[in-house]
Amino acid sequence: MNERGGYKQDAIRVGLLWLGLVVVLEAVWFATEILPRQYAEEAKIIDDAFNLLTILGIPVFSFVVAMLIYSAFRFRSRNDASEDGPPIKTSKPVVVTWLVVTSALALAILINPGLVGLAELRANPEADLVLEVEGQRWQWVVTYPNGAEVRDELVLPVDTRIRFDVTSVDVLHSFWVPGFRTKIDAVPGLVTSVYVTPTELGTFTDDVNLRLQCAELCGIGHARMVMPVRVVEKAEFESWMAEQLTAEAPAAEGRG
Amino acid sequence: MRPLIRAVVLGLVGYVAGAWLTVAVRGGSPSDDVAVVFGFILGLIGWLMGIGVWNAWAREWFGLPAKPDQATGWKRYFTFNTDHKVIGIQYLVTFIAILLLGGAMALVMRMELARPGQDFLTLDAYNKLMSMHGILMVATAVAGVLGAFGNYLVPLMIGARDMAFPRVNALSFWLIPPVAIGLLSAPLLGSFDTGWTAYPPLSVVNQGGQVLFILAVTTFGLSSILGGLNIVTTVATMRAPGMTWGRLPIFVWGAFCASILSLLVTQFFAASLILILLDRVAGTTFFGAAAGGDPLLYQHMFWFYSHPAVYIMVLPAFGVMLEIITHLARKPLFAYKAVVAGFWGIVGLSTIVWAHHMFTSGMAEQLHAPFMALTEAISIPTGLVFLGALGTLWQGKLQSKTPLWLAFGWLFNFAIGGITGIYLADVATDIHLQDTYFVVAHFHYTIVGGTIFALIAGSYFWFPKITGRMYNERLGKIFAVWLTVGFNLVFIPLFWLGVNGLNRRVADYPEFYAGPNAFASVAAYILGAGFLLYAGNLLWSARRGPAAGPNPWNARTLEWQLPSPPPEHNFPLLPEVVGHPYDYGVPGSVHAAQEAAEGGEE
Amino acid sequence: MALSAGAAHERAEAMWRPRANRLGLWLFFASEAFLFAAFISARFVTSGTDKPDTLNQPLALGITVVLLASSISAYLAETSIAHGDRKGLIRYLSITILLGLVFLVGVVFEFREAMEYFPPGTIYGSNFVALIGLHGFHVFTGIVALAVALGLGKKGHFEPDDYWGVEGVVKYWHFVDLAWVIIYPTLYLF
Repeated sequence: MNERGGYKQDAIRVGLLWLGLVVVLEAVWFATEILPRQYAEEAKIIDDAFNLLTILGIPVFSFVVAMLIYSAFRFRSRNDASEDGPPIKTSKPVVVTWLVVTSALALAILINPGLVGLAELRANPEADLVLEVEGQRWQWVVTYPNGAEVRDELVLPVDTRIRFDVTSVDVLHSFWVPGFRTKIDAVPGLVTSVYVTPTELGTFTDDVNLRLQCAELCGIGHARMVMPVRVVEKAEFESWMAEQLTAEAPAAEGRG
Repeated sequence: MRPLIRAVVLGLVGYVAGAWLTVAVRGGSPSDDVAVVFGFILGLIGWLMGIGVWNAWAREWFGLPAKPDQATGWKRYFTFNTDHKVIGIQYLVTFIAILLLGGAMALVMRMELARPGQDFLTLDAYNKLMSMHGILMVATAVAGVLGAFGNYLVPLMIGARDMAFPRVNALSFWLIPPVAIGLLSAPLLGSFDTGWTAYPPLSVVNQGGQVLFILAVTTFGLSSILGGLNIVTTVATMRAPGMTWGRLPIFVWGAFCASILSLLVTQFFAASLILILLDRVAGTTFFGAAAGGDPLLYQHMFWFYSHPAVYIMVLPAFGVMLEIITHLARKPLFAYKAVVAGFWGIVGLSTIVWAHHMFTSGMAEQLHAPFMALTEAISIPTGLVFLGALGTLWQGKLQSKTPLWLAFGWLFNFAIGGITGIYLADVATDIHLQDTYFVVAHFHYTIVGGTIFALIAGSYFWFPKITGRMYNERLGKIFAVWLTVGFNLVFIPLFWLGVNGLNRRVADYPEFYAGPNAFASVAAYILGAGFLLYAGNLLWSARRGPAAGPNPWNARTLEWQLPSPPPEHNFPLLPEVVGHPYDYGVPGSVHAAQEAAEGGEE
Repeated sequence: MALSAGAAHERAEAMWRPRANRLGLWLFFASEAFLFAAFISARFVTSGTDKPDTLNQPLALGITVVLLASSISAYLAETSIAHGDRKGLIRYLSITILLGLVFLVGVVFEFREAMEYFPPGTIYGSNFVALIGLHGFHVFTGIVALAVALGLGKKGHFEPDDYWGVEGVVKYWHFVDLAWVIIYPTLYLF
C-alpha cells in the first residue's frame, strides 16, 4: 500500500462521506417539523436558537460519524496477528487546526444564538399586563389585575406583552407553558418574572402544549399540576376577566 | 465470612443503640429524624469496626498490634483486604450489581410510562422509584469506573505495588455497603421523592426516608473523597523509576484528574446535604423562606459539586476508552499531550460552570451570560478527547474486538451527548428544555453512553487480566451491538418528547406523548434483556473461559507485562520505565525494562 | 533473590512513604478547606455580614486566644519528640488537649447563649449553629487524635526519626486552629 497516497485518498473519501452525511441530515432537518407549534413571540426566539444550534451541530456530529464509519470499514485489520499500525506522530498543525475550529465554533454559538438570543429575550422590559402566579401543592393560582383569583384555566389575551410574577407558598415549582417555550421557577420567598407575548389563538383542548405545567418536582401531585391555557382575543379577555370577579364573589363567601 | 457477619451484627447493634439512646434522652419515636441520624452514625461505626477497621487498624491507636485478616481465595473479597486488586474487584462487582438493580428499576418505570395514565404505580411510588433509580445510578457512575478500574489499574499501570494508603483504600470500599443499605432501606421510613437532586424546601418537609438519603449520600461522599485522595497521592509519589508525568498511561491521567475533582468538590455536596439535615433536625432555617432562608443556596452548593461530578464520572471513562482505542488500533495515542491538556482544561473549567443548571431557577440574571460562555468553553477541551480518539483510529490496524466495538458506540453516543449539551448551555434553548425529557435524554447519553459504556467496555478489555480467562468474543460483539442500538432506541425518542413539551419526573402524561413513550418502553425491555447476555458471558467465562495468558491484546502498558491475574504486590521487582506506553509501530521502542518477568519468585 | 527484592522494596518505601504521608495529609486539608468554604459561603450568601449585637464578644475572643495558644503547645510537643524529649512530648500534648477542652467548654457556653438570643430559627442563628458545630466537631476529633498520640507516646511509641503520628496529629490541630482563625471573624467581626 502506498502510504502517502493512502493518506490523501483516505482523507478525500472520508471528506466526501462527511459531506454526504451533512447534506442528508440537514435535508432531513429542514424537511421535518420537530419543534411544536409557536404560540408566542418568545417561542420564535427560542426556536430560532434551537434551529441554529441544530444546523451547526449536524456537521460536527456528521464528522464524528463519518470518521467512525470510515475507520470501521477501511482500517479494520484483516489478519488477527496484532500487527502494529503506522507510528503516526502527533501532528501539530492538526491539533492547532482542531483547536482553532472548535474554539471558533464555541465562540460563534456563544454570540449567536447565545448572546443574541439572550438580548432578544430581554429586549423589552415593558409589560401591558401583569399577572401574579402562585404555585402551591398542587395547583396554580393566578391573580388578574382586577383582583380575580383563577385556578381552573389560564386565559390570556393575544398580542399583549404579559409579565408573570411567579412565586410559591411551599416548595419549588416551575412555570412552564411549552407552547410559549418560556419557563421560570416558582421559589418561596422570591418573586421571579417571565415575559410572554401570545401571538396565536388556541386552547389546551386543541393543543396539549397550551398548558401551564409544573416543571420542578414538587411531590405527589407534580405530574398533574397542570392548568389549561386559552389564548383569546383582547376584547374577549376583558369580558372574561370581569366575569371571573363576579363568579368568584359567591364562591368566596361559600368558602368563608 | 466471619468479618462480614460481625460487621452486620455490630452495625445493627450500633443502629439500635443510637436510635434507642436518642429516644431515651429526648423522647419521641425511633423513626424520628434525630434518632435515625444517631442510629445511622453508630451503626456505621459498628459496621466498620466489625468488618476489620478495629482489627486491621484501630488497635494500633491503642498501642496494640494490628491483626489484619489473613483470608485467602474468594474469602478475601468479604474482608477488610488492602490489596488494591481485591478492592478494585469489590468495586467492580458491587457497582455492576447496583447498575443492574438500578436498571431493573428503570424497567419498572418504563412499564408505568409505556402508556399514558396512571397504571400500576401510584404517582408517589413512581416519584420514589425514580429518585432511587437516580441516586443508585449516579453513585454507579461516580464510583464505578473510578473505584473499579482506578483501584485495580492505577498501581499496576504506574508500576507500584499497591496504593499509597491501602487501609484507607479498604475503608473507601467498605463505606459503600452502608450507603447501599441506607438508600435501599429508605422505603421503611417513607422513602424519598425528591429525585437524586434533593432540592429543598421539598427535601426539608418530606418523609423521613430523606434523612437516610442524606446520611447515605454523605457517607458515599466520604468514600469518594478518601478514594480520590488515595489515587492522587499514589500517582504523585509512587510512580516507578522512569515513569515520568509525560509517560503516564492516559487512563492514569483520567483517574488522577477525576480524583482531584472528587477530592475537592465532593465536600460541597456533603455540606449542602448537611444543611438540609440541620434544617430537619436542628431547627435551622437555611432553606426556609419565611425566616430569611434561601432555597437557591442549596442549588448553588449542590451544582458546584454535581456539575464537576459529571467529569468525575467521565474523565476516567475517557481514560478507559482511549486505552482501549490505542491498544486495539495499535497506534500511538494521537495528540497525547493535547488530550492531557484537555483533561486539565476540564478540571479547571468544571468548577466554574455550575449555574447553567440554574438558568430558570430565578437566580440573578447577570449570571446567565457568563455561565453560558464558560459552559460552552468546556466543549473545547472535551473536543480534544475526540481528537485523540479519532486521530488514533485514523490509519490504525483496528483489532475487531468487543471493547473496540463498544468504543465506537461510545464515540457515537458521546458525540450526541456533547452536542445536545450545547442546547442546555444556551440560555434561550435551555429556558424551554430545562426539566424536560430532553435533559433526561442528554444526561443519559453522557452518563450511560459515556461512563457506563466505559465501565462495560473496560470490564471486557481487562477481563482476561482480572480473571486470567477470555470472555466469549462472539457473544461480546453481539452484546456490543445490542447495547449500542438498544440504548439509542430508548433515548432518541426522549429528545423528541422533551422538545415537544413533556416534563421529566412524571408518572403520567397527556395522550399526545403516548407513541414515543411506548416505543421507548419496548426498546428499554430489549435493552434490559441484553444485559443477561452480558452477565451470562462474563460469569460463565470467569469460570470456564479459555486461559487468556498474560497479554492477549499484545498491549504495551505495564499491567499486561504481569501474569493474569497479577500476583499480590504486583511487581516482584519494580519495573524501570524507559519509553512511552503507546509507541506502537515505533521501531525498537520499549515501555519498560522487563526484569519483573524473570524474578517471579517471592 | 527474594530477600534482596524485599530489601529493595523496603528502601523504595522509605523513599516515598514520608512524601506520600505528607501529601495525603495536605490533600486532606485541601478537601476540608472546601468543606469549610462551603459553610462559610453559606453564611455570607444567606445573611451577608449581619450579626446580632447580643454576641458574647469577650468570651469569643477568650476562646480564640486559648485555641491559638494550644497551637503553640502542639508545636512544642512536636519539637520535643523530634529532639527525643519524651517527657516534653507528653507534657505539651497534655497541655494542648487541656486547652482544646477549655475551648470546647467555651463553645458550649456560647451555644447556650445562642439558643437564647439568636436561636437556629433565625438566619444568623442557623449559620452560627452550622459553623460552630462544624468547627466544634473538628476540635473534638482533634482532641481524640491528640489523646491517641498521647497514649501511644506514653507507651513508648515515636522516636526522633519516626514520629509521623505526632506530626500528622499536630498538623491537623494547626489546621483546625487555622479554620477558627477564619470562622471567628466570619461570625463575630465582619
